[in-house]
Amino acid sequence: MNIRILLTTLVLTSALVSHADDANHYQSQPAGNKVRIEGTSTAHDWEMQGTLIGGSIDFDPAVQFDTAQATIPGLKDKKLAIKSQVIIPVRSVKSDAKAMPQVMESLMQDALNSKAFPKIECHVTELTFKEPHAAGKPFDFDASGELAIAGKTNKVTFPVSIDVPEKDKLKITGTAPVKMTDYGIKPPAPSFGLGLMRTGDEVKIIFEWTVAKTK
Amino acid sequence: MNNNESELNRRDFLKKGTSLATMMALMGGIELRADDAKPVDSAEPELTKIPDLPRLNFGIIGMGAQGRAIADTLAGFPQAKEENGPHLIAICDNYKRQLTRNAEAAPKAQQYDDYKQLLANKDIQAVVVTTPTHLHKEIAVAALAAGKHVFCEVPLAHTVEDAKDIARAARDSVRYFQCGLQERSHPQRAFLLPFVRSGSAGKSVMARAQWHNKQSWRKPSSNPQREKEINWRLDKKISPGLAGEIGIHQLDSISWFWKARPQAVTGFGSIVLWSDGRDVPDTMQAVLEFPEGANLLYDATLCSSFDADYEMFYGGDASIMIRENKAWMFKEVDAPLLGWEVYARKDQFYKETGVALVANATKQTAIGTKATEDSAYPFTALHYSLENFILNASAVTAAIDDYVQLYGDSDQKAMAQQVQQAKQSAFKQHPAAHWQDGLEATVVALKTNEAVNNNTRIKFENEWFEI
Repeated sequence: MNIRILLTTLVLTSALVSHADDANHYQSQPAGNKVRIEGTSTAHDWEMQGTLIGGSIDFDPAVQFDTAQATIPGLKDKKLAIKSQVIIPVRSVKSDAKAMPQVMESLMQDALNSKAFPKIECHVTELTFKEPHAAGKPFDFDASGELAIAGKTNKVTFPVSIDVPEKDKLKITGTAPVKMTDYGIKPPAPSFGLGLMRTGDEVKIIFEWTVAKTK
Repeated sequence: MNNNESELNRRDFLKKGTSLATMMALMGGIELRADDAKPVDSAEPELTKIPDLPRLNFGIIGMGAQGRAIADTLAGFPQAKEENGPHLIAICDNYKRQLTRNAEAAPKAQQYDDYKQLLANKDIQAVVVTTPTHLHKEIAVAALAAGKHVFCEVPLAHTVEDAKDIARAARDSVRYFQCGLQERSHPQRAFLLPFVRSGSAGKSVMARAQWHNKQSWRKPSSNPQREKEINWRLDKKISPGLAGEIGIHQLDSISWFWKARPQAVTGFGSIVLWSDGRDVPDTMQAVLEFPEGANLLYDATLCSSFDADYEMFYGGDASIMIRENKAWMFKEVDAPLLGWEVYARKDQFYKETGVALVANATKQTAIGTKATEDSAYPFTALHYSLENFILNASAVTAAIDDYVQLYGDSDQKAMAQQVQQAKQSAFKQHPAAHWQDGLEATVVALKTNEAVNNNTRIKFENEWFEI
């Protein structure tokens, strides 16, 4: 074998192995996820809940989360560039209303046009570290990226916290405020027996997402 | 339950001759309808609204009278003519002539004489098990194992052990299981349940229920072997008797409404009219002892159709009668005023006046509408039961699909936990009898039948209900 080809092969193989070793890929876990959507209306506040969050998150290989430390290796100008995909199936978010929860679910699924757009999807690309960090507490960030609801995508920034419940596992919690009209959604105004009820434009998507390191 | 094959049906006679409501009006009663006690800020109940039903492909195993009734009910869904809704794509019976006879009920359905072949059909998502009771277990368990949603008729089985096996399989399956306690899905019962449980009728005193229908239960056949097979109800070794085949629905209603399990049952049974060689009583009485001394008196007969069937809840302040999915409340003179009943429709029942417990009763009075003889509920209990089966099975399918898409299907335990939440949510939204209800009701009915067969008293053991 030509020595140059052999060397090139060795370098490439080494790079590939090195990449595999350094992979910092976290995958969504089936347990330990919560989604809560909170809103208001002219009658009363409402909320819906789910337990399905899918997707993954990739950090730079240097990034390690150790809540005992004051900072995170791999930060550049207090920022972490990441690749992530967060998926919430719309129909998995259920109402826990005592009376006729199906009405609430049907309103939401219609409003979000869930037949055409069955998922709420978020791609966070940057985490901005919020100092100071107290030892033993979760790390706080501002997450920036894109949020797609009902077929419309907007740039968003919202606060998240990252905790390390056990080795190679992260619990990511956060609250994303959303204005329905920003996504082309007309706040539902269902007609009930005693007149018109109107839901407020602003809702909060509150989540708790568990991911685990995979190779 | 196969009770729609009577030779002499008093219900039909009443419907044709004089209606039940007319007869009751002659006697006097306040009908209990669903709008009267609803919270004022809740939405109008959509009793007649036809819901959007997702597509669900059915197969029916057992094309006897009940299989035929289910086929007819599925075909009667307005959505069945569209792409969505229930589609009966397969029927199965090990007696080929039964398939031929019932082909018109399901003209597009593929016919099978082996249930295993039906279960191998990947296009079938849901299976209805409506074979003779003693054949349920093998088929229901196999259907769940084949990944089908299962609707299993009640009693679940002819023995407690077989019923437990079905319940175990249903509990451990990610698929949806519902049993044929149809009344649990009926909106009238859903309305009455909080009414009874909230104590509106005062302290429970006792309950009475009966089923009277003159019919032999015997079916003719020129083939002796076939004759034996189709008359399984008349064979004590495998028949759950009147208490199991008929009484289970009424016994379950009382336990369900009272939210209590009977502690003991004493039964009496005899063959008083149909002395044709059978060993299963054609007439039975039973007393089921409930906690706090409120007992249930139940009787059923194949020898007289007088007074048909009903359930009565006797309370210290009022008694409630349920007949043909209508209900009335009879108040004691010293009972506190509830308020709404002043405006509610009232019917005369002999020397008593009953308040209608039914949807829109006060509204009808307010707008001056005469009391209607039509039920506020346009469909049968079987229809509502199958409707909720379709909605819940589809919700479970959606939960499984979402889960598999996000996490794959390698961790079956985690998937089962997630789907369990979807099942709980589904049962809450669209009430139906799940495996636990089916097991409870089956044990109570089978032990009542045992007490009737042996003219004895049986104390219920907790272990009979546990899996």
